[in-house]
Amino acid sequence: MSLTRPIRRVGRVFIDASYEIGGAARLLARIFRRLVPPDLDIPELRRCLLRMGYRSLSIMIATAFVVGIILVIQAFVFVDRYGLRSQLGWGAGFTTIRELGPVLLALMFSGRVGAYTAAELGTMEVTDQVDGLRCLAIDPISYLVVPRFVAMVISLVALTIIGNTVALLSASVMGDIMMDVDQHTFWSNLFAMLTPWDYATSIIKAALFGAIIAVTSCHYGLTTTGGAPGVGRSVNNAVVSSAVAIFVVDYLSTFVMG
Amino acid sequence: MINLVNIHRTFDGEKALDGLTLFVPRGTLLGIIGPGGCGKSTLCKVACGLIRPDMGAVVVDGVDLVRADRKKLLAVQRNCGVQFQNDALFEHMTVLANVEYPLRRLTDLGRGEVRARAMERVAMVGLSGFEDRYPNSLSGGQRRRVALARACVTDPLILICDDPTAGLDPVTSRRILDMIAGIRYQTGNTVIVVSSDVPGMLSVCERAALMWSGRIIEEGVPADFMKSERDEVKRFLDDARLPFGGDR
Repeated sequence: MSLTRPIRRVGRVFIDASYEIGGAARLLARIFRRLVPPDLDIPELRRCLLRMGYRSLSIMIATAFVVGIILVIQAFVFVDRYGLRSQLGWGAGFTTIRELGPVLLALMFSGRVGAYTAAELGTMEVTDQVDGLRCLAIDPISYLVVPRFVAMVISLVALTIIGNTVALLSASVMGDIMMDVDQHTFWSNLFAMLTPWDYATSIIKAALFGAIIAVTSCHYGLTTTGGAPGVGRSVNNAVVSSAVAIFVVDYLSTFVMG
Repeated sequence: MINLVNIHRTFDGEKALDGLTLFVPRGTLLGIIGPGGCGKSTLCKVACGLIRPDMGAVVVDGVDLVRADRKKLLAVQRNCGVQFQNDALFEHMTVLANVEYPLRRLTDLGRGEVRARAMERVAMVGLSGFEDRYPNSLSGGQRRRVALARACVTDPLILICDDPTAGLDPVTSRRILDMIAGIRYQTGNTVIVVSSDVPGMLSVCERAALMWSGRIIEEGVPADFMKSERDEVKRFLDDARLPFGGDR
């Protein structure tokens, strides 16, 4: 009995994970079915864009600003040791645009918007509001999920572009203060070394992460059971699963996109 | 007309409905009573096509909801008004907006007519003056009344009320049951009410059914119902402190 218990536990974890991944994949398929041709509630999309994109702007800018500063502080030791001050723009730009910007901003977005969405839909589910919509002949996927999916993808792409810019601005200022790398050297090196594909990679990653956060949070929200504690569990699961999925997809996309 | 035949439904291995059969003729006010956890809420959701049974047939006005395509199911649901156990009010909308919402979604009425009809229903449930309040600023009884106004605002052919008196004081509870009975007599439509207020329920409904472990074990007019010789019925009515075997 004691020998089989760990195996059973691993099996249970595997089955639970498969169940959740299957549910999320099914939800994604239903979202795509309603996107072609578009079947979504436009006023709800507008509300979501305002709440998820515009109202996340300040916290994302603050995060990106700090990321840029940390980047330069960390790079200082190596740049100083090997005399690579002229390459600071490229180093900061490459790291921020291709990796740190999309990933850190997505994690922040997941904690703010993903958690909120899981809690909102979870509360609607346990208080029968989702069934209430069905009774009014309103498809909850078209009305609740698709606008949130589209809004999260658009918002995260826009916030990543803005965040990357802010991170690079703060890195350039910090580089000037800490290492005497003037603005011209920083930016000319950055633009000379980075290719359009690097910028495209950042946007593709942001779109993928936005989709992941949307599907995960909506899936956990709509499958909430067990009242208020169930909503708490859904929020927790949504944030943890989004983070894991973001890292896995980041690894795969980095591998595929070079 | 609602006909549920041999309905089975299981949630996580627990049987919620276990061979339930129930026939509700058109224009009847049916009260469903039973102990907590016997499957009353599941029955309400199955009857309006929100939950698909594992087995059995759900026929509403000639349409089998289990086998119906999405279009037919939606057509039936358009004619169902449901008051949920948790009220299911949209918290971001005012009282008036909540009541207007079904009219805006399900009818072609103009804005003025929608407003007038919603105001009339809000007044009917005794909440005039509360139109601009948000649900989270209302008491439990007021929320129930808003939910009732929303459920019946389109004059649905079938009105299903899932425990509209749960957690309310006897006076408010009775008031809500009287409102539901009033709606039934005004419209002549089918009304199914689940309630834990057994005396109140038996005094307003035309037919009553007792659910026990996922099935209907007794059904009939309230007077006969009270004289039932079945052990479960006697025990339940006794627990509900009703004088079974006698007149109300």
